Amino acid sequence: MNKEVKEPIRKKWIWIGLVLIVLGNVPWYFSDSMVKPYIFGFPFWAAMILLFSVIMCAYLSFVCLTQWKIVEDEEEANK
Amino acid sequence: MGQLTFAGMDGIIILSAFAIIMLVIGYLSGRGEKNIHQSLSGYYLAGKNLGIIALFFTLFATQYSGNTIVGYAPSAYRTGFSWLQSISFMTIIIGVYLLFAPRLYVIAKKRNFVTPTDWIQHRFNSKGITLLAIFLMLWGLGNYLLEQLVAIGQAVSGMTGGTIPYQVAVLVFVFVMLAYEWMGGMKAVAFTDVMQGIILLIGIIAFVAGGIYLAGGSFGSITQFIAENEPAKVAVPTAEVNINWFSMLILVGLGASIYPHAVQRIYAARSEKTLKKSFARMAWMPLLTTGLVFLVGIIGIKLFPGLDREGSEQLVGLMANEIASINSLFYWIMIIFFGGIVAAIVSTADSVLLSFSSLISNDVYGKFINSNASEHRKVMVGKIVGVIAIFGLLWIAWNPPGTLYEIFVLKFELLVQVFPAFVLGLYWKRIHGKPVFWGMLIGAIVAGILTFTGNKTIYGIHGGIIGLSLNFVICVVGSYLTSASAKRDPVLEEDMNAINL
Repeated sequence: MNKEVKEPIRKKWIWIGLVLIVLGNVPWYFSDSMVKPYIFGFPFWAAMILLFSVIMCAYLSFVCLTQWKIVEDEEEANK
Repeated sequence: MGQLTFAGMDGIIILSAFAIIMLVIGYLSGRGEKNIHQSLSGYYLAGKNLGIIALFFTLFATQYSGNTIVGYAPSAYRTGFSWLQSISFMTIIIGVYLLFAPRLYVIAKKRNFVTPTDWIQHRFNSKGITLLAIFLMLWGLGNYLLEQLVAIGQAVSGMTGGTIPYQVAVLVFVFVMLAYEWMGGMKAVAFTDVMQGIILLIGIIAFVAGGIYLAGGSFGSITQFIAENEPAKVAVPTAEVNINWFSMLILVGLGASIYPHAVQRIYAARSEKTLKKSFARMAWMPLLTTGLVFLVGIIGIKLFPGLDREGSEQLVGLMANEIASINSLFYWIMIIFFGGIVAAIVSTADSVLLSFSSLISNDVYGKFINSNASEHRKVMVGKIVGVIAIFGLLWIAWNPPGTLYEIFVLKFELLVQVFPAFVLGLYWKRIHGKPVFWGMLIGAIVAGILTFTGNKTIYGIHGGIIGLSLNFVICVVGSYLTSASAKRDPVLEEDMNAINL
């Protein structure tokens, strides 16, 4: 078959990327003093967690849009 | 939310308007569509033809309930900045969807699935697994519905300052929900979700704006206040909190994506393109919902310091009273916001009820009681049992059994046990029915026992996750030990090589 098929589960890098983001998204790696400096009113550690949360949203949204294409071409052609 | 005295009559007017709009939408979605009541996929999946707007909003309004606001703001109030986890655990759901939704969508379209059980039956062809999965899913849905019913009454009676008593409020909104669902099925549920989702979003944004205004206009001053008075709430979380955070990501991610009503939204998509675009947008919604609700809780620490656990549960109501007194614009926005909370609860409850009915129609009745019945009859049985179930749950809600109340807390813990069968089955040809059954059963029992004995978490890890790990191990090891002698089903072989589809 000569069509381009993309299925997220088959792409290892997607899942390695997600695991890394999740690891960054849980504050296990901060020392107790990392409350300061405050960034936009957020303690330093919380600002980093928020940053990773935004990265996770962007990453998953990107993966949905660009790495998932199994029957789309056929469905759109049949419209 | 008992002290919401600001609304009264105005609240009743807004709530009545919302109720009428929902009924009109339900009526319009069912009108002229005879097919809706004649076919299972017509009634339960809107003919598998939901476009991007309806699909996105129905995913959104179903996943985010009124409880997400009324319950999560107090959590942020009590735990402080570590409640940022609510953004991550709602986002990770999309990541888990990516594990199975792309392939499941293709197979479900091809084989005309109506419920998640259809896939499990198709994959394992085992009565035991099918029955156990139906039981776990109905249990999860029933408890989820019960929670929403209780919440509707509290929200409405709170909002109208008790002018509308709790039980009357529940009955009125249950009636509205049953009526539009009866008329238009999934189509009505999805279209009302569009309206309910929009109101909720506007309400949350206005709420945060009002809260920041009240607290002095700067978020930095709020954090400074917290750091001086309750430093634990800005401190770096302890190891146990972090373990719990990881556990929460797994439990909510796997549990919420496998909810029957969530899976059915994958089936109901018009096309792959519609589905992936909806998910791509959903990935951003935690920032706009649980993220903003988190801010509400943090602002609350400065506005109402020192509330105890029970007091903090009233936080959203207390803040709404204050915000409403800023000026008349905020007053009306707060009334609409509270209407939005009620709408959000209804929009979750209607989807859960529809899914509950579909399991009765298609699985319990259609697979085990009368498989030769016409689809019209199956739909009718599901609708009627759904109505009976609602009133049964209301009876439980109003006469809670004193000692066994914990039974009704179990949702995710049990439901998530279906996950290995559901997802491993999609990709792993070797997986065997027997270990799947025992894994699911033992996982559920372990999760249940841990919860009943008061060990909801052990070292921060949820009982459901401990059960699930056991479940996975049994599935995998058992499948390796069982000889793969089962005869190969050509249809299944074809589906599992999904790329050839």
